[in-house]
Amino acid sequence: MKYLLTATALTALMVTQGFATELKVAAANVSSYLDPGRDHSNVGSQFYFNTFDPLIHKDYSTAEAKWVPGLASEWKLIDDKTMELKLRQGVTFQNGEAMTADDVVFSLNRMYQATFAPYQVRSRDRLENFAGAEKVDDHTVRIIVKRPEPLWETLLNLQQVFIIPEDYTKGLTGDPMVAEDSDYEAFSLAPVGTGPYAVSEFVPGQKLVWTRFDGFWGDKAPLEKVTVTRVPEIASRLTALKTGEVDMITNVAPDQLALVDSEPNMHAEGRATALFHVMIMNVNHPKLKDPRIRQAMSLAIDRDTLNEALWLGKAIVPSTHTMAEFGALYMPDLKTFEYDPERAKALLAEAGYDGFEITFDTDPVYYTNGLLAAQAIQEMWATVGIKSRIDVDEKWTGNDPEMMARNWSNPMYFADPFGSFGVMWAPGGPSESEGRFNTDAAYAASWDKFRYSSDIDTRRAAYAELMERIKQDPPVLPLYQPYESWAMRTGVTWVPQAGHIPYVLDFRSGAITVDASN
Amino acid sequence: MTVAVSASRPVLIAALRDLWADATPMQRFAVGLGVSLALLAMATPLIAPFDPNAQSLLSRLRPPIGFDRAKPDYLLGTDELGRDMLSRCLYGLRLTLTLAALGSVIGLLFGGSLGVVAGVVGGRTDTVIMAAVDTQIAVPFTLIAIFLLTLLGHSITVMVFVLALYGWENYARILRGETRKLMRMPFIEAARAAGATPARIARRHLLPNLMSPIVVQFTLSFSNIILLESTLSFLGLGVQPPTATLGAMVGAGRDYMPTQPWIVIAPAVLILIVTFAVQTLGDWMRDRADVRLRPR
Repeated sequence: MKYLLTATALTALMVTQGFATELKVAAANVSSYLDPGRDHSNVGSQFYFNTFDPLIHKDYSTAEAKWVPGLASEWKLIDDKTMELKLRQGVTFQNGEAMTADDVVFSLNRMYQATFAPYQVRSRDRLENFAGAEKVDDHTVRIIVKRPEPLWETLLNLQQVFIIPEDYTKGLTGDPMVAEDSDYEAFSLAPVGTGPYAVSEFVPGQKLVWTRFDGFWGDKAPLEKVTVTRVPEIASRLTALKTGEVDMITNVAPDQLALVDSEPNMHAEGRATALFHVMIMNVNHPKLKDPRIRQAMSLAIDRDTLNEALWLGKAIVPSTHTMAEFGALYMPDLKTFEYDPERAKALLAEAGYDGFEITFDTDPVYYTNGLLAAQAIQEMWATVGIKSRIDVDEKWTGNDPEMMARNWSNPMYFADPFGSFGVMWAPGGPSESEGRFNTDAAYAASWDKFRYSSDIDTRRAAYAELMERIKQDPPVLPLYQPYESWAMRTGVTWVPQAGHIPYVLDFRSGAITVDASN
Repeated sequence: MTVAVSASRPVLIAALRDLWADATPMQRFAVGLGVSLALLAMATPLIAPFDPNAQSLLSRLRPPIGFDRAKPDYLLGTDELGRDMLSRCLYGLRLTLTLAALGSVIGLLFGGSLGVVAGVVGGRTDTVIMAAVDTQIAVPFTLIAIFLLTLLGHSITVMVFVLALYGWENYARILRGETRKLMRMPFIEAARAAGATPARIARRHLLPNLMSPIVVQFTLSFSNIILLESTLSFLGLGVQPPTATLGAMVGAGRDYMPTQPWIVIAPAVLILIVTFAVQTLGDWMRDRADVRLRPR
């Protein structure tokens, strides 16, 4: 940390001496729109943190939940359903507008009381409990929830409730006094926030340019300008880094790490990402209705070998749907998912599996090693007698009643089981509403206890109940937390930090240093 | 060339011997290459050391024999899932050749028949068929192929159909021209005067004389079809994994080009050899068939 601070100071010094510190990044994907509220994709999460702030920040260098003031300088519960927040004074948006309570209330209520369909989806799956926000005075707001909320800070730190300017957004199209859907659409192409970097150019799906926002309320951004360009092929990204065309590249597959290490002028940084690559199984497919078939599909997959072979052993294979990032709710002692080919064979025989073909759908490139894992799984299934066919298609088939099995990811949207398993597998959540997962009253009761109890042990016990249900009638198998890497030239110092959600490119003060003379 | 030939066995052998005597060393080499590749493809199940889809995940990305970390069982190394490169190359060659052969034959039958019909019948039929040919020539074929494969799904049957659609217009155009020329020949006039039916004329008098343009066009389009199959499979539109075709192997291996180049090089070299052999044979056939290019 001391080193980082010194380096930052040096960088700042060089900038004042007239060096323009620039960074060029080649990314595998660039979003087609930029609005932190509606987006929860692995592509989008790369970009929001540099441009926007939440009310409550955290110490992102650690996985622990250490909350620090963001756009709110202090916050307290005034009763069990109301939180009052004092806003930081003197904050301006990148377009020069001052941030006031009106902007905060507008940003929050566009999600909490969503009228724009894409916001409604995000609001339902994680912000259901929030009734609304109201202004007390210019620098005070209150947030009201429907039921006592055990995850206040966590849910105010979310990307979806980053603060955006009210007047600017409403004025983008049509009536400047009304927030129309078209205003939100326009905002997503010309986003403005309070963060240290303003989006100065955005070509959807291709290019994003950040320039330093000198009016930022916090520590001055270390870089003058950052250009992120889309380069989809890994071989081209590596070449661009090697020739010095770019300073940093994203999504380096483990198989390419040896190459990066062998080059004297570049290095790679990676970590097991807070996200699961999963296999989903359609519980409502007529041929997969018998849970024993799906249990066998799951038991036949040797995830440790996948990790060893495809991820150099650097991925994390979970015993249940849990990650170390969950803190007190990390429950590695639960054994929900195992490898047991003998039991798989026995279950298949019991269920009277007659050799019908199971299809496994996969996108050709979206998940690192996804197609390889699919083919390896096919072979592992073959050894217990399951016949399968791989369908490679970019189309999302998770909502297709014909879908039998496919790959997907369950990212950690916030550091709680609710933020990973919960968002995807809650009663009425995306999995159930897509028709490939069912819940009943008992499941909903366990879910409710898990979601709303303020007692950690009760939450753990309820989560264990949910996992037992998943084990008995499995709709999902988390394969591993993939090991994702970024490569950069010597002179660029950056690491993916433990406190972030997956894929965040954090270029704020203290997170990156660039040796401009190189 | 315009005399109807009915080849009996000894005559055929004599003709082949004549052909061989006539060939340049390069052409003989190409013949040898072509025959060996065909034999390899036919004998693949007997000679391939491994099941082409059998994985051994923990020995993936091993280089060919002679390099560091090579495993003695794997002559050409292993691919990204630890499958034997040699076996996959052989099976890939086999499937690529089969697809190309089926595609060429179906394209030939389809396009050829349309061409002959257009040439014999003429008039409005001719106009319609030739309009279809012109349309097909005007639209880039990769576009049509991608459209069809997206619409009809990825299976070997669809793939054969798409490959067959490629190049039918060339057969149609060439055979129509030849047929129209032949139809004005005195011996056809004579047959017609003697009361032969159009079907008999087509079978007994036209077909034997169309053989040489057919052979020439077939060899030329065969190598194009191999390249098309490779292109589509490279794009991920062709035969689905884990099935190996040469193009699919190149496509899957492209991420490994900087680090494990053999995964791309082995199938790419095979594509090169096959196209080279077939193309050389095609050129040779064309030279033989074209009277104006004959030395004597």
